[in-house]
Amino acid sequence: MKALTINIALCLVWCSALVCQPAHGTLKGSIKDAETGQAVVGANVTLQGTFLGAATDANGKFSIARVPVGSYALTVSMIGYERIRLDGVKSVADEATTLDIQIHSSPIQSEPVIVTANRREQSFQEVPVSVATVSAKMIADRNNVTLDDALRYVPGVNMMSDQVNIRGSTGYNRGVGSRVLVLLDGLPYITGDTGEINWETIPMFEVERIEIVKGAGSALYGSSALGGVINVITRETPAQPEFRFRAFSGLYDKPQYPEWQWTTKPRFNSGVIGSYAGGTGSLKYLVSVGRTVDESFRENDTYQRWSLFAKAKYDLSSSQSLTIAGNYLYRTHGNFFWWNSLQEPLRPAESQRNGLVTSDRGNISVAYKEFVSDKLFYTVKGIYFGNFWRDDSSGRVNNVSTSHLFSVDAQATYDMNSSHTLTFGFASNYDRVEANLFGTHPGVGAAVYAQDEMGVTGELKLTAGLRFDWERVSVLKATAQLNPKVGLVYMPDKETSIRASFGSGFRYPAIGELYIESSTNVSAVAVLPNPDLKVESSLSYEVGINRSIGSMIVVDVAAFRNDFKDLIEPSVQIKQYRPNPSSTYEVEGPVIQFDNVTKAMIEGVEADVRVEWWKKWFSTEIGYTYTWPWDVGDNVILKFRPRHILYAGGLLSWNRVRASVDFRFLSRIERIDENLVRLAPIVDGDARVAIKIVDVRASYDLIDLGYPLRIGFNINNLLNYSYVELLGNLGPVRTYYLTVEGLF
Amino acid sequence: MKSLSLLIIAMFLVSCDHGLAPPPSVEPGFGGTLYFEKGTWPSPDSLNSLWLFASQVYPLDSVKVVQGLISNPPTIYLYPASDKSLPFNVDSVSYSFSPPVATYKYVGVIQRFANDINVHSLRVVGVYATNDTPPLPIPVIVNEGVFTPGISFRVNFYKPPPQPF
Repeated sequence: MKALTINIALCLVWCSALVCQPAHGTLKGSIKDAETGQAVVGANVTLQGTFLGAATDANGKFSIARVPVGSYALTVSMIGYERIRLDGVKSVADEATTLDIQIHSSPIQSEPVIVTANRREQSFQEVPVSVATVSAKMIADRNNVTLDDALRYVPGVNMMSDQVNIRGSTGYNRGVGSRVLVLLDGLPYITGDTGEINWETIPMFEVERIEIVKGAGSALYGSSALGGVINVITRETPAQPEFRFRAFSGLYDKPQYPEWQWTTKPRFNSGVIGSYAGGTGSLKYLVSVGRTVDESFRENDTYQRWSLFAKAKYDLSSSQSLTIAGNYLYRTHGNFFWWNSLQEPLRPAESQRNGLVTSDRGNISVAYKEFVSDKLFYTVKGIYFGNFWRDDSSGRVNNVSTSHLFSVDAQATYDMNSSHTLTFGFASNYDRVEANLFGTHPGVGAAVYAQDEMGVTGELKLTAGLRFDWERVSVLKATAQLNPKVGLVYMPDKETSIRASFGSGFRYPAIGELYIESSTNVSAVAVLPNPDLKVESSLSYEVGINRSIGSMIVVDVAAFRNDFKDLIEPSVQIKQYRPNPSSTYEVEGPVIQFDNVTKAMIEGVEADVRVEWWKKWFSTEIGYTYTWPWDVGDNVILKFRPRHILYAGGLLSWNRVRASVDFRFLSRIERIDENLVRLAPIVDGDARVAIKIVDVRASYDLIDLGYPLRIGFNINNLLNYSYVELLGNLGPVRTYYLTVEGLF
Repeated sequence: MKSLSLLIIAMFLVSCDHGLAPPPSVEPGFGGTLYFEKGTWPSPDSLNSLWLFASQVYPLDSVKVVQGLISNPPTIYLYPASDKSLPFNVDSVSYSFSPPVATYKYVGVIQRFANDINVHSLRVVGVYATNDTPPLPIPVIVNEGVFTPGISFRVNFYKPPPQPF
C-alpha cells in the first residue's frame, strides 16, 4: 500500500511537471532573394526577445525548434541585404509554422546591424553619427594579425605606429592616454597603467566585426571616448562543431636602398592559429590558440607571441544567457624605439640594441543577458583586464609595471512604444597600478547613463542622452563629469538618411601620465610626474547624409567639427628636479612632463563612395577625409596630424576567386614637435613624407577540389615605398605573405 | 569604368617616387651662422679669443671644462683650433664644424677675455638653445655620414646666458 502511494505521488509529480512545461512549436521556412528567387545561404533568422534563432543552410532553409507558444517578431539579416522584421509570427503548440520569406538586396555590402552607436542594435541608416565597420572577411583577406593593421583601411582613421587617430583627435603620445576608447564586446579595453590600447591582445581570429564610431562618445561610454569608439565584437559560438585554422608565412623584401640593408639573412614573419568550437545542448564554446613569430625587417624589433582565447555561452532558457570569455597573451618584443639615423633607419639607436620587453596580458569577462519581454532586456557585464610588462636592457631589469582593471556595466533597453526606446545603465571600475615608473596607485570610478530614442514622426528620429561620471585616482581630489549627446536622423525616403549629432567627450589622465617618473628611460631628458593634470575634454558636431543611388552606388558625406580643451601632451620645460628618485639634491635642466598644453579645433569633411559593378562581382570604395587641425592656443596648425587621408580599394569576387587592391594616402604631416626630436634625441627625426601604400592580394577556394581550404597570396607595400608613421620609425618594407585557411 | 582605370593608374604613379631616401654621404659635423648683436662687441682689451665650442658633457663645472679640453680624447671641442679665433667685430660668421661622431649636449660660443688660460678667463656668450627663459641647450648629434646644417644662434656680449662654471 505504501509503495502504491509513493508510485501515485511520483506519477502526479511527473504529470504535473509535464502539464507545467510550456508548450512548444517549430518555426521553419526558407529565405530567398526577392530579385533572383535564389536561396540565400547564411542569413541569420532571430526571434526578438529571445536567444532563439538559426542560420539558413545551403538551400536557404531554416528551422527553429522548441519555440515557446506565442507571438514573436522575427528578423532576418544578411550582409548585402536589407534587414527585415516580421511581426506577429505565431508559434503553435506541437505544430510547425512555415514561413517563406523574400529579402531584397541592399546596394552595398554593409553590415546590417550596428550596436555601438546607441548601445543597441540598429540598422546602418538609423544611426545619427558616422560609423564604419570592418568585417571578419576583410580581416581574413588582408591577413590582419592585430587590430591596428585592420584600422589602417578605415576612412577618417590613421595609425601612428600603434596609436590610433580618428579625425585628428590624437597627436604624438606613443600610445599613452588613448583618446579613442576601445571596447571588447562592449566593455572598456584600455590598460590601467598607461591608458593605452593593447592591440595584440584582441583575438583577431575570433572577431565577428569591428565597429568604429567617429566623434565624441563619452555620453554613453565615459572616459577616453574623445575622438571615437572602436568596438570589437567577437563571434558568437557557432551552432555546429567546427575546427578552423589560419596559417601564414611572410617574407620581408630588401629595403629600397642597398645601404639600408643591415643583414643578409632573409627575415620571416609567420604564424598559425587554430580554433575549435563545440558544445552540447544549451552550452556552446570555442577555444583558439595562436603562435606568431616576427623576425622583423628591423634590428631588435622581433616579437614572439602565444595567444589563447576561449568563450563559452550557456543558454539558461530561451530568454536568458550567460557568456564567459577570456584571453591571454604572452609576448617578448625587441625594444626598437627609433632609428639610428636615416643612414641606418633599420637599426635602432645604440642604446636600444639589446633591450627586450616581456609582457603577460589577459582578461576574463562575464556577461549575463535576459529578455524580460520582447520589449525589455538587460545585460550585466564584468571584465577583469590584467597587464604585466617588464623591459630588460642587457640582461638587467629596467622597468616593471603591473596593472589590474575591473569594470562592471549593467544596462537595460526598453522599447516603451513605437515612439520611445529607453537605454539606461550603471558602470563602475576599479584599477590598481604597481610600477617602478609610476608608483603604486589605485583608481576608482562610477557612472550612470540614460538615453531616449524618440520617433518624432515616421521619418524623423531624435536621440538624447546624458551620462554622469565620477572618478578618483590615488590621493588626488575626485572629479565629476556630465556629458550630453543629441542626435537626429531624418529619412525622407528609403534611399536617404540625413543625420546630425552633437556629443561631448572627456578623458581622465592615465595613472602613467600623472605619475611617470624616470631619469633617462624614455629619452636623454628626465621625465617628471604631474599630479596636477586636469581632465581633457571635447565637443563634437556632425552633419551627414547617406544616400543610395540606384542599386549600385552608395554615397556618404559628412562635415564635422571637434573642439578640444586641455589636451594632455608631453611638453619640455626647465625645472629643478632630482636626477633620480633616491637623490637628495636637485639640479636644474630640461624635463619632459605631461601637461594640459593645447586647446584645439578640428574641422573637416569626409566622403565615402561605394560602387558595385557587374552583378556585385566587383566593388570599389573611395574614402576621403580632409581635416583642418588648428592649435587655437598657439594659432598654428596642430602637430602630428595629416590634413588629407584617402583610401581607395577594389575587390573582385568571382566564383572561387577573390582578388583585391588597396591604396592609402596620407599627406605629409606639416608640423611636429621639434623639441622631442632634438631632446630625445632622434637623429633625422624630422624626416617624413606623404604616405602612399599599395597592397594587393588574391585567394582561391579549394572546396571544388574537395578540400575545405582557401589559399591566399598577399603583397603588402607593393611598391616598397619608404615612409614613417611615427618619428624615426621606417614603415614595413614590401612583404610577401602566403596564407592558408581551413574550416572542418 | 574609364575613370576607375585612370584612378588605378594614378594610384600607382603617385607611389613611384619611393618616399624617403638616405641622405647623401658627407663629412659628419654641423654648421650654421653665428649672429653677433650689433653694438655689443667688447673692447679689444677684453677680447683675446673667441671660439665655437661643442661639449659632450652638460652641465659643466670648472673641473669638467679643464678635463674636457685636455683629456684624450677630449669631450669639448673648439672651432677654430685653440690657437686661432673666430673673427672679431663682425655682424655674422658662417661656420662648418666637424668634431668626432658623438652627441654634443652643449654647443655655444666662448670668449677668452684675459691672457691667462684658465676657467676664470673664460665666459660663455652664446648658446644653441630653445627660446625658453632661461634658454634650454639643444643637443647636437654628429652622426656618421650626416652633416647637420642650420645650427645658428645669436651672441650678445651684454646678455650672456647662464654660466656653466
